[in-house]
Amino acid sequence: MDHADSSLDLTPVAPPVSKSRGRRRSIGVLVVLVLAILLLLSQGILHSLNYFETVDQALAQRTVLGTKVIRLEGVVQRGSIDRTSNGASFTLDGSKDHKVFVDAHGSPPQLFQANIPVVVVGHFASRSSLKFDGTQIMVKHTATYIAAHPTRVKAPNGTSR
Amino acid sequence: MMKTLSQRLLGPVTLVLLALTFWLGLWITPPDKVQGNLVRLVYVHPAVAWVALYVSFGTATIASALYLWKRTRSMVMDRIAHCAMEVSVVFIVLTLITGSIWGRPTWGVWWAWDARLTTTAILGVLALGYLALRRANDDPALRARRSAVFAILSAINVPIIHFSVQWWKTLHQGATVFTSNRTLLIHGSMAWTLLISFIAFTMLFFWLLRARYRLEVARELHGHATLDEALAQRRSEGAF
Repeated sequence: MDHADSSLDLTPVAPPVSKSRGRRRSIGVLVVLVLAILLLLSQGILHSLNYFETVDQALAQRTVLGTKVIRLEGVVQRGSIDRTSNGASFTLDGSKDHKVFVDAHGSPPQLFQANIPVVVVGHFASRSSLKFDGTQIMVKHTATYIAAHPTRVKAPNGTSR
Repeated sequence: MMKTLSQRLLGPVTLVLLALTFWLGLWITPPDKVQGNLVRLVYVHPAVAWVALYVSFGTATIASALYLWKRTRSMVMDRIAHCAMEVSVVFIVLTLITGSIWGRPTWGVWWAWDARLTTTAILGVLALGYLALRRANDDPALRARRSAVFAILSAINVPIIHFSVQWWKTLHQGATVFTSNRTLLIHGSMAWTLLISFIAFTMLFFWLLRARYRLEVARELHGHATLDEALAQRRSEGAF
């Protein structure tokens, strides 16, 4: 080969596009994508489209639920919290004057307090019991943000002025 | 290339607004009645999620639709869609990270498989899939068409994410700003700071998009220039 041949045409030529190779790659990407989405769906949406049962719903389906592990949602009744060495016990209020006594193990989250909605993972102690044995407490904070006013004066009845 | 005044101001104004957001969020606004100082994450997470879901993914979707529409079809639209989707991936990952950081002390868990979180994770996978699909095709026109169709189909997930907290029972809170009855559930200086954070992060997106777009244009031009230089060098070698 003559290296000194400066007339050699070195103009860039676009490589021939292989449509079948592109299609194979695209199908490969889509297959991986579908598998990843199915994995996420199986973990999330299909098992917990509705993440919890409210106290009212759980009590309405009491016989069906039995001692199955569920996520139970309700508002922590004021003055009902009793912190124990291995967790906390409290009463969860539903909207229709329904109540469930919760005995939860494990340390509650930082925000756990009375009068806020929580979700407790666990199961009813028995088919007829209103006692709920919890293994995990999650705080379901609301979408409302209200500024705290630590400098406000507390009235004798407990309200802020 | 001459920059317009708005292009010159985009970066500095974004930085000023971000600094203002952090100053107001960390020092000026009060703690929340329930969440205490944890509420300060409200000035980052919702704004980042807003950009991830609506601004960046929306930009990619609109640019994709404009590419598919024959009247507006151009590689500029394809490039915008590509760059917006790349920035979207960054913001989706930031949304999941900041949400996780907020979730641990408030909910008590880093992650929950509820509808809002799962559909957001799926959006992240779809955005990554879009970028993978682009790499799988060598033909620019075919790549642009396929990825545009994919972006539009992926965008169906965005309203599902938005309404997930209304359609299903989720651990994730409902809407604070975009409520169904248009009531703002955050008040006073907290609301103003939230608004500034939304503007700041939206501007950050456009700043990043512009930088990424210019980089993409430069990469295309530079790629050809490098090839020309290499060929010239090869010719000169051949001459000796």
